[in-house]
Amino acid sequence: MTLLLQTLIFGVLTGGVYALMASGFTLIFGVMRVINLSHGALLILAAYLTWWVWDRTAIDPLLLGTGVSVVMYGVGWLLYKTVIARVQRIDPELTLVASFAFAIAAAGVIALVAGTEARAATPSYFNTSFHVGELVVPRAQLYACVGALAILGGLYALLHGTALGRGIRACATSRTGAELVGIDVERSMSQMFAIGCATTGFGGAALAVLYQFVPDSHYVWIGRILCVVVLGGLGSFAGAALGAAVLGIGEAMTAAYWDSRWITAVPYMLIIVILILRPQGILGARLRAGSGAP
Amino acid sequence: MNAGRQLRVLGKNGRRRAVAIGLTVGMAVIVGACGSSSDTGSAAGAGTSDEPIVIGMSLPLTGPVADRAKPGYEGYQYWVKELNANGGMLGRQVELKVLDDGFDQRTAISDYTKLIGQDKVDLVLGTFSSDLNLAVAPIAERYNYVYVEPSGGADEIFERGFTKLFFAQPATTKKLPEQFVKMIEEAPEDQRPKTVAYVTAEDPNTTQLEEILKADLEALGLETVHSATYAADASNFDAIANAVKAAEPDLVVNGSIAQDGIQLIRSFQKLGFSPDMLYQTNTPTDPAFAEAIGPDNTEGILTYLAYSAEAAYPGNAEFVSGYEKEFGAPPSEDAANSYTAGQVLAAGVEAAGSLDQDAIAEWLHSNTVDTIVGPLSWDAAGASQGDMLLAQFQDGVLEVIGPPDAATTQKIIYKKPAW
Repeated sequence: MTLLLQTLIFGVLTGGVYALMASGFTLIFGVMRVINLSHGALLILAAYLTWWVWDRTAIDPLLLGTGVSVVMYGVGWLLYKTVIARVQRIDPELTLVASFAFAIAAAGVIALVAGTEARAATPSYFNTSFHVGELVVPRAQLYACVGALAILGGLYALLHGTALGRGIRACATSRTGAELVGIDVERSMSQMFAIGCATTGFGGAALAVLYQFVPDSHYVWIGRILCVVVLGGLGSFAGAALGAAVLGIGEAMTAAYWDSRWITAVPYMLIIVILILRPQGILGARLRAGSGAP
Repeated sequence: MNAGRQLRVLGKNGRRRAVAIGLTVGMAVIVGACGSSSDTGSAAGAGTSDEPIVIGMSLPLTGPVADRAKPGYEGYQYWVKELNANGGMLGRQVELKVLDDGFDQRTAISDYTKLIGQDKVDLVLGTFSSDLNLAVAPIAERYNYVYVEPSGGADEIFERGFTKLFFAQPATTKKLPEQFVKMIEEAPEDQRPKTVAYVTAEDPNTTQLEEILKADLEALGLETVHSATYAADASNFDAIANAVKAAEPDLVVNGSIAQDGIQLIRSFQKLGFSPDMLYQTNTPTDPAFAEAIGPDNTEGILTYLAYSAEAAYPGNAEFVSGYEKEFGAPPSEDAANSYTAGQVLAAGVEAAGSLDQDAIAEWLHSNTVDTIVGPLSWDAAGASQGDMLLAQFQDGVLEVIGPPDAATTQKIIYKKPAW
């Protein structure tokens, strides 16, 4: 029983971290229908920024995440204005290629500037836990998990409770319609993309504390993020949280009750099962061809 | 000397080829003897001249492994410089003839064929990687040249029946954990671990290591209480570590590749599990190791080293300081390996007293050479019978604790302090 509970705790916490990483990605896809493959690279960039400041000032890296989020908001806005918006006008599907190209270029630039050594931020609590009876709750994971819930909730509130959010949802439903009622579509889109990218600030800070990273680590993360959102349903916040939890618990259960060499196969097995049983994802709405942004 | 036996082995086609090679070499000797004295590549065994001895090699100086071949080449360069400063080989100066194969097997083969067949270099030295050495070694064997290789430890190379190949690293994977097993065997009874857990990354090297260690440690009476394998790119180790913790082993053996070993330790720390003894394969030499697990937490962790700049083998300290002065950075393992290959070849040539390849090979097969990676001797297939070093973190430094003649400290920590 203890083992089961402990395994569930590990799974849920790992899932929380995955949800945190995936939140901005699912936002950008959900409202803009842009599959932003540079999301992993932005996470790594944020992780490097966090590590760099932490290494020099010893300020808590998870707190630094707030400041880094602001920087990442700017990076996201620039990325949208200079790359995404331009290729989207030519062909919306080109954003897939363009964002991937940006990811490769970003990894190269990071390697040039910061070198290829593996980095990790190690504040005092990075390897400590809360102990509840016999159970162990790793602190950094718990913080990241709480952060993930806060960010997902915040994004939901933003979309459904503010004028900006309503405008953005209007753009997503019908661009022309939104323009007709006086919404500045271009501005709403760039805001949304930048907010999605800003979430990588806290995500990257958590990554810096929980894992080692090198410039190329973004491949691993974009792979996991895609898995999480496909599992949960593209564009759905609750789906992202659920998909992340399923993946995290699946990995932990595999290690505890089956064979640890199968852990890395878990995402793919889950995706195959989901694609057969429920192609739109656990909580995803069915997408019709031609829906979303024109 | 054993040409007759070789002819029998070669079979009919081979015999014809061998005769042709014999004729070619014979011609070369005649041509060489007739040639003018300014012809630098003409030696082909003529040991009396004052001309430099030419040693040929082809290295992957460009291409995907160029960053590792560079220090390898520098190791060779430094060896020649030092050798010439000390009077050279057989009283003659030595020069290197180096070609670039761009990490391509076919280019490497044609390079060595050209060096031996056309340029008539006096000696050859090996190239880098198992891949290239596997391709080149048969060329050297066919031309009856001694082939000392600085890398290429894959089992396959030693299964081909080469007679003039010598591996210049201390040991192949088979002997990797020997010093560690010995340390446990010699540990005081009350400090010797009773139970062991294996956590192994899926990789040919580490899985072979687990098999060897399991057999050796069980023979010493250690009980295996847990065994798990994980994919080399796994990154979440909490659940894996939890299963190890539940088994309560005294000793954890982690056949790790790179960052996986760090994540495993971090998960142990989060779980509050600190084994009395921890042996990891590749991770502790990672420059980021101490920073990533916390600088105070390295104490007592064990690993193996193929080469250590600190090892107290004769000549090593001079090599390290000289190399650093020459190239501005401490020697990498690759630099040390090519320097060692040079040492081995030079020892064979000096002992044989000539450039006679058969005599050099025969002497190397029956003697031990003192090198900067320790005393080396070889089995019939050319696999080295030396020792990998056993190292342990003590006060933040990786100290060599075995074998005794390389040790940098006499202290051994049997029970690691808790994290």
